[in-house]
Amino acid sequence: MSTPATPPRSLAEALRARDDASLALLLRARPDLITPVPTDLTQLATRAGTRASVVRALERLDRFALQTAEALAVAGDPASYEELLGLMAGDAGDRAVAAALPRALGTLREQALVWGEDARLRLVRTARELLAPSPQHPSPTGLGPTVQEASAGMSPGRIQEIVAAAGLPSTHDSVSAVAALTGLFTDRKRMTKLLGGLPEESLDVLRRLVWGPPYGQVTADPAPRLRRLLDLGLLLPTAPGTVVLPREVALHLRGGLAHRATEPVPPVVEAAASYRPQVVDATAAGQAYTALATVEELLKDWDEGGPAVLRAGGLSVRDLKRTAVALDVPEPVAAFWVELAYAAGLLASDGEADERYAATPAYDEWLEQPPAERWARLAEAWLAATRTAGLVGGRDAKERTLSALGPGLDRSAASEVRHRVLTLLAGLPEGAAPTAESVLARLRWERPQRREDDLRSRLARWTLDEAELLGVTGRGALSAHGRALLGAAAAPVRAAEEEPEQPDEPTGPGDKLPVHHHPVPAPHPEPLSAAEQAVAVAAAGRLLAPLLPEPLDHVLLQADLTAVAPGPLRRPLADMLGVLADVESKGGATVYRFTPGSVRRALDAGQSASDLHAFLTAHSRTPVPQPLAYLIDDVARKHGHLRVGAASAYVRCDDDAVLNEILADKRAAGLGLRRLAPTVLASQADPAALLDGLRSMGFAPAAESAEGDVLIARAHAHRTPPRTAPEPVPDGPPVPDATLLAAAIRAIRAGDLASTAPRKQTPSTGPTGELPRTSSAETLATMQAAVLTGEALWIGYVNAEGAASQRVIAPVRVEGGFVTAYDHTADEVRTYPLHRITGVAELADD
Amino acid sequence: MRKGSAYVNGPLIVQSDKTLLLEVDHEQADECRRAIAPFAELERAPEHIHTYRVTPLGLWNARAAGHDAEQVVDALVQYSRYPVPHALLVDVAETMDRYGRLTLSKHPAHGLVLTTTDRPVLEEILRSKKVAPLVGARIDPDTVIVHPSERGQIKQTLLKLGWPAEDLAGYVDGEAHPIELAEDGWALRPYQKQAVENFWHGGSGVVVLPCGAGKTLVGAGSMAQAKSTTLILVTNTVSARQWKHELVKRTSLTEDEIGEYSGTKKEIRPVTIATYQVLTTRRKGVYPHLELFDSRDWGLIVYDEVHLLPAPVFKFTADLQARRRLGLTATLVREDGRESDVFSLIGPKRFDAPWKEIEAQGYIAPADCVEVRVNLTDSERLAYATAEQEEKYRFCATTATKRKVTEALVRRFAGQQILVIGQYIDQLDELGEHLGAPVIKGETPNAQREKLFDAFREGEISVLVVSKVANFSIDLPEATVAIQVSGTFGSRQEEAQRLGRVLRPKADGHQAHFYSVVARDTIDQDFAAHRQRFLAEQGYAYRIVDADELLAEG
Repeated sequence: MSTPATPPRSLAEALRARDDASLALLLRARPDLITPVPTDLTQLATRAGTRASVVRALERLDRFALQTAEALAVAGDPASYEELLGLMAGDAGDRAVAAALPRALGTLREQALVWGEDARLRLVRTARELLAPSPQHPSPTGLGPTVQEASAGMSPGRIQEIVAAAGLPSTHDSVSAVAALTGLFTDRKRMTKLLGGLPEESLDVLRRLVWGPPYGQVTADPAPRLRRLLDLGLLLPTAPGTVVLPREVALHLRGGLAHRATEPVPPVVEAAASYRPQVVDATAAGQAYTALATVEELLKDWDEGGPAVLRAGGLSVRDLKRTAVALDVPEPVAAFWVELAYAAGLLASDGEADERYAATPAYDEWLEQPPAERWARLAEAWLAATRTAGLVGGRDAKERTLSALGPGLDRSAASEVRHRVLTLLAGLPEGAAPTAESVLARLRWERPQRREDDLRSRLARWTLDEAELLGVTGRGALSAHGRALLGAAAAPVRAAEEEPEQPDEPTGPGDKLPVHHHPVPAPHPEPLSAAEQAVAVAAAGRLLAPLLPEPLDHVLLQADLTAVAPGPLRRPLADMLGVLADVESKGGATVYRFTPGSVRRALDAGQSASDLHAFLTAHSRTPVPQPLAYLIDDVARKHGHLRVGAASAYVRCDDDAVLNEILADKRAAGLGLRRLAPTVLASQADPAALLDGLRSMGFAPAAESAEGDVLIARAHAHRTPPRTAPEPVPDGPPVPDATLLAAAIRAIRAGDLASTAPRKQTPSTGPTGELPRTSSAETLATMQAAVLTGEALWIGYVNAEGAASQRVIAPVRVEGGFVTAYDHTADEVRTYPLHRITGVAELADD
Repeated sequence: MRKGSAYVNGPLIVQSDKTLLLEVDHEQADECRRAIAPFAELERAPEHIHTYRVTPLGLWNARAAGHDAEQVVDALVQYSRYPVPHALLVDVAETMDRYGRLTLSKHPAHGLVLTTTDRPVLEEILRSKKVAPLVGARIDPDTVIVHPSERGQIKQTLLKLGWPAEDLAGYVDGEAHPIELAEDGWALRPYQKQAVENFWHGGSGVVVLPCGAGKTLVGAGSMAQAKSTTLILVTNTVSARQWKHELVKRTSLTEDEIGEYSGTKKEIRPVTIATYQVLTTRRKGVYPHLELFDSRDWGLIVYDEVHLLPAPVFKFTADLQARRRLGLTATLVREDGRESDVFSLIGPKRFDAPWKEIEAQGYIAPADCVEVRVNLTDSERLAYATAEQEEKYRFCATTATKRKVTEALVRRFAGQQILVIGQYIDQLDELGEHLGAPVIKGETPNAQREKLFDAFREGEISVLVVSKVANFSIDLPEATVAIQVSGTFGSRQEEAQRLGRVLRPKADGHQAHFYSVVARDTIDQDFAAHRQRFLAEQGYAYRIVDADELLAEG
């Protein structure tokens, strides 16, 4: 990085001083800065300083770069490189840290999180705010505020007391006093002396706070050991009852280190076991073949009506369970296969009214491809997919179960983590299988996760499992074809190249080359473009092809009615055998069993017994066993013995000459007649039409009932469906009983009260006894007024059946188009919709 | 295979359902068979591909016999044609690792104890409701007392829980009694020797040999090894007499040293032969003859036809875990699926030889198995269709056409020793009448039976009609043709046992014939298919012929 003649005074200036290549690095690392493209560098700098962008950039830092940024946040602003180095490497001067620091700083500069020359390093303000310790957000460093910050609210007198207690000369103002105190705390020698004079129990208190959190609780009357610390300013009060260990003191006690454990080098991915590369490749290839067979089996199962799509989308738990049983795998694995087929576009929902999952037309094309290409397609889909099968069965933020093929399974980091894990595996020597823990540790270093769920670790774990299932790895080690998936970049590491280079002397920033076996990761590994990925996948397929077993064209037939295919079969052969026999056992070989049912199935599929014999003879290396040949003949003998068809009428006649005559008659063509037996004709016409037809031809047919009796031919009388007879309508109502009468009388009396209650005359009120009529606005206003005054009103009301009545009510509440009121007429509280109230009138004052 | 291919052209294919397919004609097949035999169970042995199954029980037995997971994995990887799924290898290792976490041993002070090397396992099994009543006090965190009489029970229970116990408690020697094989002019066959050796080495267990391959001699050989008092349990009295006869002939034992404990005689001698029937006789809710097990300090107990072991005997056997137990059978298939109880109580399979292998060595006669399909007459078909469900089998199995076929067959093999075997007495009586042959059935007295069998052996009678009483352990070396007209539904072992009647090697080495007469398109045919399964899996290929063809041939 070129240093401008004059030191930059702002991030914008620092950016302005950078060359295009360096700006390109920035924009590649933080693509959010150019969406949309900023107008100038000032705007770019502003945007680079926004909180969202900085948070995003910080999240993508590896652990050491992040620790460096955290250290800068607790250092002075600006800080010199030496100060930063002190914080990172400590007083002891960790050489590894010193060696790695320039690179970390380079990363921070590149990403515009830090600017300024080495002497005046500045962390962008937003980052500083995010990372600097505050009581609300304790810093990962565990450091507290500086003396200056902590003493900001203290009285000058108290500060002078502290200064005096610490043995410093008193000053005339607080600022210089704080400066003197800071000077004392940062001076290792004087500080050691000062602490040396403290009792052991006081030191214990400091030790408890030193690695954070730096805050402690004290009572109003602290114990002597605390008193002493407070007097000396080694603990400063922040709020009543709370004290803090000032940053300078903590740093002194920590030997200058900002972090308890500084991690300058990424954890090494350890090899748990090592296999011969041939073994790894063969195992992976075997599994790759299984993967193809499994996907095929899955979709074949769904050939005739797959499982239904849930209303919320996805596969029901029961269907997933059933699929798992059918595939003979645990449910999570079944979910993986289903999701894989979905990601590869081999299965989708059919979009019909009762939505079901089914194979896509692409699946049929896929089936036609050679095995290696089929695998490549699955592998490509897997690498790029953001859907994560591992989440299936879990719950989302709203506690809804996540179902396979359902919504909510996309995790944008999935693809990147898969790439990263495979790249890490590729970094190991050929045939070496890593421990999952070391892979996870490495990933956590590269991208420290602050959130609790640690999604990336889970993704990585799933990646390791899935890579094994898919045959990308074999026995945990990356196979040759798996390596090829990563493109040319991941050339195999031979054992000879394994020796890690030892880090040299610390060098200046920016010129450190990555050490090979501890590859310091490019923080954002170059992703392959779509075209490059396609090339890599094709290359992987080519590597895999010779490892896959070659399909066979023969089976071994055995007298116990089984056939064994000692390897994968060619497609037409496998398809045919799948119909002719039941699969008993799967794996490298397939065991088929012939049963009467399976042979019948083949016959139903249109094969004849001789076809089957020819098929078996052609594909068997040994003579067809006699029991099998007999079985086929025996089933064929009975097959189709009974015939079933549909006819709507028949003609029978004991004299087959008559039937001959009918069949020969041209006029019979429309009757759809077919001879079933010498004396029976079947017809597609209905019996009435057949009768008419035959009569018109000059015959005299008689109709037969289902029991074979001759039906008497007579026109069928027309009938209605069942109907009830009309109810009699008596003159006048029936005589009411006593209860009804009592109720009626009461109602009449109440109504009478309503209508005769003296009321104010309103203009719209018609003749007495009629319903009051007012406009709706007036009705509402009167009601509301009545609520306030508590007066009773006389209303006209039309109920849901359209019956009108008059009521006297005392409105209690009017809201939402309803009035709640005490109904004097019914003697209870009722609610009336306002729109049913025809009018309202105030009762006349008595 | 192709050059540069990752595949070794091995004889073995490992299937995902944990079966192993062995290509018999492969040059490495024998080598491979030996490598996988210790842990894999031979399931089927037809002509080209033999099927083995890897089961937890098999893996644990391999552990018990001193094999470790690495050897198993090596054997699989070495001979496998395709890469072995990693998951299967892991599973094998994990399963084998479960064995030996628990051991049964003798504690000097507390007697039989169960100890563990892995405390959580002990905690887990002690929490099981099934184990709780079998154990006593806990001596220390890793040890718990087991009541000696529950030794078999706890082993069986632990096996079911998936934590098999290694039994180091050993065997009692029993009361010594000199027994030697009298190998004058004959010797144990190599496979018999091997079987005795495997059994003795393993302590207890089951030896599976085809019918007619000389299981009695394996028993005698084992007794000669044990040199102690022996209790032999057999299926019936005739069989008991044959054992006695054979033992007197083949060993140093004399008539007086051998006792018979049956319905008629109750002798207890240094070597006692008892029938299952008398042991399981129950009077007033107790088994009065159970004390036979305790009547002497037996050093060896032999279970003949162990596949027939009746349920009560299972229970007694559980109490006999300190004594050596030898199970003998030809067909360890039980329609009640209790094979695993046999293994856990008597002991694991110590020796198993495919029938065809013994046949190839010339120790059993080669057999021609034929299924003859007869058609029911039209009226019979109608009657069959309307018959009650439970009557259907009887109806189709006893069709009159079968008689005609049987007669034709008897005519064809005139001059040879022929057995006609069936299930239904009416049918047998009728056949006996038509063929002019004596009938042996359940009600035939023992003396009469032995007389008839002797006459048959001597060749005085050439055709014998027998019911299922002759299914087992009846030694009729001269029978060369067996005609089965009906059977006990779909019993696989009955079929095998009946074939076994004609498998004794013939003096002139000629072929044996086994005819099974079956009514076409009926339940009889379905049962026949099931019955033949065991033999078909042993490589006996049934030819199927139509009765009409057979009758036409004469």
